[in-house]
Amino acid sequence: MNILTRRAKVSSPLEVAVDSGESSYALEAKDLSVYYGDFEAVKKLSMGFERKKVTALIGPSGCGKSTALRAFNRMNELISGVKTSGEVLFHGVNIYDTDVDAVQVRRWIGMVFQKPNPFSKSIYENIAWGARINGYKGDFDELVENSLRQVALWDEVKDKLRESAYALSGGQQQRLCIARAVALKPEILLMDEPTSALDPISTAKIEDLLDDLKKRYTIVIVTHNMQQAGRVSDKTGFMLLGDLVEYADTKELFFNPRDERTENYISGRFG
Amino acid sequence: MMRIQFNEELNRLHHDILAMGSRVEEDLRKALLALKTGDIELVSEVKASDQIVNAMQMKIEDQAAMLIATQQPVAKDLRQLVTIFKVTDNLERIGDHAVHLAKTAKRLSDSPYPRPLDRLERMAAIDVGMVHDAVASFLNQDEALARATAARDDEVDAEHKAFVQEVLAYLAKNPDKAQQATRLIATSSYLERLGDHVTNLCEAVVFMLTGAHAELNE
Repeated sequence: MNILTRRAKVSSPLEVAVDSGESSYALEAKDLSVYYGDFEAVKKLSMGFERKKVTALIGPSGCGKSTALRAFNRMNELISGVKTSGEVLFHGVNIYDTDVDAVQVRRWIGMVFQKPNPFSKSIYENIAWGARINGYKGDFDELVENSLRQVALWDEVKDKLRESAYALSGGQQQRLCIARAVALKPEILLMDEPTSALDPISTAKIEDLLDDLKKRYTIVIVTHNMQQAGRVSDKTGFMLLGDLVEYADTKELFFNPRDERTENYISGRFG
Repeated sequence: MMRIQFNEELNRLHHDILAMGSRVEEDLRKALLALKTGDIELVSEVKASDQIVNAMQMKIEDQAAMLIATQQPVAKDLRQLVTIFKVTDNLERIGDHAVHLAKTAKRLSDSPYPRPLDRLERMAAIDVGMVHDAVASFLNQDEALARATAARDDEVDAEHKAFVQEVLAYLAKNPDKAQQATRLIATSSYLERLGDHVTNLCEAVVFMLTGAHAELNE
């Protein structure tokens, strides 16, 4: 029995888990390595993610940040040839332990992708479906409304809940995908460049949303946009060639980085 | 190395700051010369030059603001641009003091001080050297030079205190020279304040280079 199994059976798992005090971090990687065949894309990564904070992972393409993000909820297992070693601790339990169910992991640690990927279903069903197959027994109307309100989408879609999610704009679709993730009442939201496919207005809405969502969730965001990392995150980690070069408070990292490689990258001088 | 355009713009700003610093330094020298020789021509030259210094400040600050808006600098680049505002602000104030000095030189020339103004000249010479070195510390990104330059403000302060005592002693013996004594003390005060502005500039340079606020020469 581990906490991921045990937690699924308590009546209010979110509160129990968050208040459990089992770790000072919501999520913690220890010596985490991820290999594509023989290539080590993430090298013995050790870092903790503070509760109800936004942590940004930045770095040039191929630095391993998205691979690391996917390792935080075992999403890499869906890619063939990927091997993972080390630990990712969630409430003291290594999510890679053999008796931990990957589906459970992804329920507690949700993922939002670069391109909005709503289901080919109605707006309502996009929210309700995931909760239903995860055994949700409560009031679905309430769940849908609550989830859509959390992403500031309710007022825009409340009169067309039965319409296809594809009828929404890109920015609305992305907020719907975030609503779909929060409907499962996760503790952690992983976001892989969630605004890179959006226009500036939609991007600003998502960024405002992050500030609100972090009151309830721990957020880890991968972004190529330096200014975005500076705007939305409390802590920032800079990765390079699979290594975590520097990890610090965002304002410190962007104003006075300790490592010259970080300075060169965030200043745009990385050739 | 990337960001060629940004680096070119920064270089241009450095060039403009060097020009501004050199002009302020030259104005100080002229004001000092006016003080020594009573050459009134120099006074109008310093006043005219101060207008140019003010225009230089606006041009540099506009350009720095434009770079912040368009290039979104971070880390040391950002600290450097923020520091430029402090550098130009203090240089502009130093330029104002040069004008005050020149004006006082004009007034003092009406009724010459009976003794040579050795201390004032020494203070002014230290100030001129400090302005030069402070600008150099910014351009060369030299923290040690910034700290050493700020430390010299102690010499200026000591000269100022001693000069005030001299003038007070002179006043005690020549009570009818109160107006002249007041002008002399004001002149010394300008030179003393000038040292403080150089110190502020040096503190900004240390901040730019280290990211930490430094209180130099409290």
